[in-house]
Amino acid sequence: MNPAVGLAAFVGVALATAAIGFYGLRISRTTGDFYVASRTVRPWWNASAIGGEYLSAASFLGVAGLILLTGTDALWFPVGYTAGYLMLLLFVAAPLRRSGAYTIPDFTEARLESKAVRRVTSLVVVAVGWLYIVPQLRGAGLTIRISTGLPSWVGSIAVIVVVCLTVVAGGMRSITFVQAFQYWLKLTALAVPVVFLLMHQSDVGTPALAEASSNPTGLPAAGLYQTVSLLVALLFGTLGLPHVLVRFYTNPDGQSARRTTLIVLGLLSVFYLFPTASGLLGRVFAPELARNGQPDALVLLLPGKLLGGVAGDLLSALVVAGAFAAFLSTTSGLVVSLAGVISQDLLGGSVRGFRVAALLAAVVPLAFAFTTDSTALAGSVGLVFAFTASTICPVLLLGIWWRGLSDAGAIAGMLTGAILCGGALVAGTFMGSSVAPAWLAQPAAWTVPAAFGVMVLVSRATKHRVPGTVTRLMTRLHVPERPVATERQRR
Amino acid sequence: MTRVRVTAPRQAARVAPTRPYRSREAAEDSDVGQVFVRSLIRSQLRLAVVVASGFLLVLAAYGFMVALVPDLARMRILDIPVSWIILGVALYPVIGLSAWLYNRSAARNEARYRDLVEEK
Repeated sequence: MNPAVGLAAFVGVALATAAIGFYGLRISRTTGDFYVASRTVRPWWNASAIGGEYLSAASFLGVAGLILLTGTDALWFPVGYTAGYLMLLLFVAAPLRRSGAYTIPDFTEARLESKAVRRVTSLVVVAVGWLYIVPQLRGAGLTIRISTGLPSWVGSIAVIVVVCLTVVAGGMRSITFVQAFQYWLKLTALAVPVVFLLMHQSDVGTPALAEASSNPTGLPAAGLYQTVSLLVALLFGTLGLPHVLVRFYTNPDGQSARRTTLIVLGLLSVFYLFPTASGLLGRVFAPELARNGQPDALVLLLPGKLLGGVAGDLLSALVVAGAFAAFLSTTSGLVVSLAGVISQDLLGGSVRGFRVAALLAAVVPLAFAFTTDSTALAGSVGLVFAFTASTICPVLLLGIWWRGLSDAGAIAGMLTGAILCGGALVAGTFMGSSVAPAWLAQPAAWTVPAAFGVMVLVSRATKHRVPGTVTRLMTRLHVPERPVATERQRR
Repeated sequence: MTRVRVTAPRQAARVAPTRPYRSREAAEDSDVGQVFVRSLIRSQLRLAVVVASGFLLVLAAYGFMVALVPDLARMRILDIPVSWIILGVALYPVIGLSAWLYNRSAARNEARYRDLVEEK
């Protein structure tokens, strides 16, 4: 690939991001604006922003790469990523918006009346956020290496610098516009090349797409346990992701939170058609990428490989731009929500504290990215989902729907989930992905029920610790908030 | 006999914004209100669980189909294997439809609750 093309694409996305970020800066004035856009963002904007934030390196590069490697088994990833939002809509969206909290620790503290629960939740949220940023930075490194030939660390550092600048400058208000822009950029960047390539191939005459079912690597198919466990992780992990939740606070009320989620589901469904199509094209036309160990680069290399010339260069530039949009948007979303948690818990919740916390939230994962070994992008993000599903998901679900949850139960359950799932992931990584047994490599199917079980049992045993405010809080979470007056006027 | 609904005078519309959460206050005030709230929570939870299980059943049905009909792996539509079409395309409208149905019913549950509280 032509190095100038890659660089131009990156600089273009960075400039566009900064420009929208600074345009937003003029609108944000109060602390409320800065944190969550004063909760006045329209559903379409908000849904595009949520989509922009959610579609990370794993979705943009990883899904197509994994499809190239493992075929239909990998199709469960985009299905799970999307269906996770369905679960979020069903169990979390409206009540969480009505809780009126800024962050997940805010919610657990209000629900359980306990500072200790708040601290444990904060720790888990920060761990999840850091773990999730690492694959983004690896994706950035890979993209810079493939598109310009520069060493990987340049890409990781460039992403962190751009994110810190935009977040520190504008906070959430400008982030909303930046993220919304980046969803549409990502969709265009994947869709246009795929459509072009499909048209081009039908002109040239295709070797039948039937070859899609051929297997370029000879990897064994995933067993039933692995598929089920992956789905548990993706379905229940999404609703605990900190950067996803923080966006729901920008809806004006519970009903618009639900409407926003419905739009998000549509946006995600449309988006995931294209990584799937890329993966299919890759299986037919570029199976050697799977064998020489760079399946994640498939989306980046496909246009140049199939078209070449100026058209190939232009499409490659578009894809590189989209890839950077993915790294930038997910990383900035995570940095904003982590900074919210860190600054409220450690630095007193001022705007200045938020800026310091943003730097802290961004720099630590950079160190992780440099010191740890890389694995497939979609796979490593899947592990973060497993961890969230075993820790934050139980406390949210039980907190919203079960009056009997006590602070002791919540802490015990979160710690159980964190230790079991974290332990399994560390053990699995040390043993290597080819040796580790399925129950260590995909732990969600047993760690999630374990966390739920411990949370319920300990809460039962400590009934006296259930806070007296639970009735008021449950009412607030579930009762619709639209003023009676507007209803009357409409009749 | 026709039923006539007696509504508050128009002024109420102007008073209300200072107390935007009338239905919430009414609910918190009394034991009867709490009964309504509990039944609202129960019906919302039941709805969510029904929709979620419906969707999981569709996934399970696909799994069984693949296991029981091995010929499916060889079937093609327009040269593309059927399993790719089901997993890669056809499941998304199912997700969207579940979400849309849920939104409608959840809003209806809330409207019913609001009517109960107001007519009390």
